[in-house]
Amino acid sequence: MTTPPGGYFGRALVVDVTDGSSTTLTLPEDVLRGYLGGAGLGVWLMDRLGPAGVGPLEPEAPLAYVFSPLVGTPLTTSAKFAVVGKSPLTGLLTDALASSHFAIAGKFTGHDAIVLTGRAESPAHLMIDDDGPRLVNASGDWGSSASDAEESIRETYGRNWRAASIGPAGERAVRYATISHDGRHAGRGGLGAVMGSKNIKAVAVKGRRRVQMADKDAVLAAAKDLRGRSFGPATKKYRELGTLSNLLAFNAINTLPTRNFTATTFEQAPMLSAEDLAESRSVAKSSCASCTIGCEHIYASKGGNKVRVEYENVFALGPMCEVSDPDVVLEASARCDELGLDTISAGGTIAWAMECVDRGLLDATWLRFGDGSALLRVLDEIGSRTGVGALLAEGSRRASEVVGQGSHAFAPHVKGMEMPGYDPRTMQSMALGLAVNARGADHNRSGAYEADLKGDLDRVNGTTEHVRAAIETEDRAAVMDSLILCKFLRGVFTDPFEEWAGLLAKVTGWDVDGAELQETARRIVQAKRAYNLREGWTPADDWLPERFLDTPVELESGRTARLTSERLRAMIDTYYAERGLDTEGRPLRAESFSGTEQTR
Amino acid sequence: MPYTVCSMKEAVGVVLAGGRSSRMGTAKAGLEWHGTTLLRHVTGVVDRAVDGGVIVVRAPDQELPELGPAVRVCVDRQEGLGPMQGLAVGLAAAAEVAEHAFVCSTDLPFLHSAFVRAVLRGFEAGPSPSEYPENPDPPGPPDVVLPFVRGYRQPMAAGYRTDLASRIDALLEAQRLRPAHLFEECNVRQLDDAALLADPRLARADPDLDSIFNVNTPEDYRSARSRPAPEVAVERFGVLATGGKRGRLSVRAASIGALAEQVGLSFDGHVVAAINGDQIRGDSTMPLLAGDTVSFISADAGG
Repeated sequence: MTTPPGGYFGRALVVDVTDGSSTTLTLPEDVLRGYLGGAGLGVWLMDRLGPAGVGPLEPEAPLAYVFSPLVGTPLTTSAKFAVVGKSPLTGLLTDALASSHFAIAGKFTGHDAIVLTGRAESPAHLMIDDDGPRLVNASGDWGSSASDAEESIRETYGRNWRAASIGPAGERAVRYATISHDGRHAGRGGLGAVMGSKNIKAVAVKGRRRVQMADKDAVLAAAKDLRGRSFGPATKKYRELGTLSNLLAFNAINTLPTRNFTATTFEQAPMLSAEDLAESRSVAKSSCASCTIGCEHIYASKGGNKVRVEYENVFALGPMCEVSDPDVVLEASARCDELGLDTISAGGTIAWAMECVDRGLLDATWLRFGDGSALLRVLDEIGSRTGVGALLAEGSRRASEVVGQGSHAFAPHVKGMEMPGYDPRTMQSMALGLAVNARGADHNRSGAYEADLKGDLDRVNGTTEHVRAAIETEDRAAVMDSLILCKFLRGVFTDPFEEWAGLLAKVTGWDVDGAELQETARRIVQAKRAYNLREGWTPADDWLPERFLDTPVELESGRTARLTSERLRAMIDTYYAERGLDTEGRPLRAESFSGTEQTR
Repeated sequence: MPYTVCSMKEAVGVVLAGGRSSRMGTAKAGLEWHGTTLLRHVTGVVDRAVDGGVIVVRAPDQELPELGPAVRVCVDRQEGLGPMQGLAVGLAAAAEVAEHAFVCSTDLPFLHSAFVRAVLRGFEAGPSPSEYPENPDPPGPPDVVLPFVRGYRQPMAAGYRTDLASRIDALLEAQRLRPAHLFEECNVRQLDDAALLADPRLARADPDLDSIFNVNTPEDYRSARSRPAPEVAVERFGVLATGGKRGRLSVRAASIGALAEQVGLSFDGHVVAAINGDQIRGDSTMPLLAGDTVSFISADAGG
């Protein structure tokens, strides 16, 4: 490829952090067009660069920071990057998105992706600028929080540097450790542990290469239009209260996971509501670079910690653990940020452990539901891998394998990844999405909650229509995560695939339409499944914990929300058929990752 | 299609709209009911109680008022044979979707979803002797669940197995045109007032069993229409509750749209209503019932 399309540089930088050497991997245009960037390009890179069967924490396991064609353009919410690798939590593919300046600075180094392989001999920062990559000693920052490490780098090397860092949890290979940049987290799947296994504390980037756009005037006009739409009613919820506004709403509709998914309502939910906390604790609102929505709501605890609050961290550290004190939940969120822990997996694993203690299965009698100091203590133990934290740092699936005694039945995970804040019995499109998604129990890559909340389907009676709705949202998510555009923007698009194709065409110069992007979505979803298949996925992995299939939820209306094994099986089988998979969930046609199809 | 668990539902609603309305003097289906029509209201109430949707059966030349989304319409094969013809047509269509149907006429303005559910539950639970007065040794699961309210059988507010359609066709063929003829030939479980009100939700929602009250004359209609809209509890969440709009209110409203208007909400695609913590609806014409709790939430989910 002589001149890459607009929005791209046509290459990935592959750095062996063992010695700091690097190579440039050419990214063919058909690959870029077939996988776009972000999560899509990430799976292509994992297939290409990751040896089959490699352990996630082994030096040979690649870790990719993947940008996208829209990064560096004036399009709102485009400053996002994907971190892609093999998850130490699931053993399968994971891609975690984060936002803001790192995406732009990383892209401006002149690469569409930066891939780490190998293992540094001692703690190091990987610095990349116009002179290329180099390793610098990070021993002074080892043990610090991600945000402190970031600040240290910028103070030492200059404010133009942007860094994505791990906290102590990543250094100690906690299986759900995060990678963070400027308070935003590539949270799910434990890629912080992958980075920690490479002895890399931070990846820091600084660059001056600019993104070329095929039709700059058209992109500017589109950006102006999109900016205007981003202030409309579709984003009002995010702008004014943020995602925490889900908490009371989900409580009202029997969907708020409580006490390790043993209940769907939490009596003390109002104490943690956005409606309350916005009045009593809100200190600031913020936004990522290049974003006009401004969804970040920062609350302060009585202890003085300022925390970006989202629905997921509050549900996981609040109702899941039956903790209702907002100061404790805010402190716990802050603790997760400092340690570099995924709040959803932390909360889910801790809630499982609390139930084990209740049932006399785990010898940690202080770790009780509703005990805020216990919650804070166990987070520290997880981050340091001490006490019971050494077990819980492994995640609920592995921990339940150690504890045994039937504790796996209530470990709230799919494929090893802990479940987000949606009860699958009362949101059955989401139930399917959680069961089949490549990343594990994942609301974000599925997005099927949209269908359950829209009002067109009966959310407690999963049918073929629910399956089709879940496929549609999964396809849209695949494209948004690869373009990359923030999902909070999705409501402004009335014809999403066509409109996204229009944006992509203006940037790249490709003659791309909505039908092609729908095909791209299908390809990306299939590619993730194919990668997982290679890495040991089995049909048994597409399922939900037995708790959801054995225990229905009685609703105030008199109806019962029941998700039986038979219904889930039928929905999964329908998903396989609709996706062109065989009855075991395997692709009927093998696709070569160069983007051309082959028949098996 | 092998995925039968996904395809089949538990129950369908069938509303017979093809009656002559001779005493009313005008088609009952089109009577105004709190901003909508009686037919649309009744289909909405039934739809709230079943998972298989609603089928409306009309007369061959009958024009129907506008109906809610996803309501199917079937046509009586022949006029003048009374409700049994409509029953046969409706059950035949319903059999494609579910094993059981709640069948009612269009002239039940106070029909409550709790009543529909209580009747349909009659297919599930075991019988008690008082429910089978003519048969001390009832044979098994019923073919018909027949409310027996205030001393009268209520065939036009009853549950039927959908596979009865062919049996009804045979009765029609033999000019046996009354529902009583069907009941002679199948296993009928009767639910009297006490049996119905043993359902606590129905007892709370409709203690007088006004569900079976039907309007036959203009006087009936005027009297029914003069009753106020049902009283419901409403709460707004998230950004819908900002500006001092938090907390639960008690309001009289007959539909989701009317309720939204009363509480100052624009019921557009960005707002949905959850009824009794259960069904989420974006249809503003969905009827509300006495005792409902409605939660208005943002449709823009995610996070």
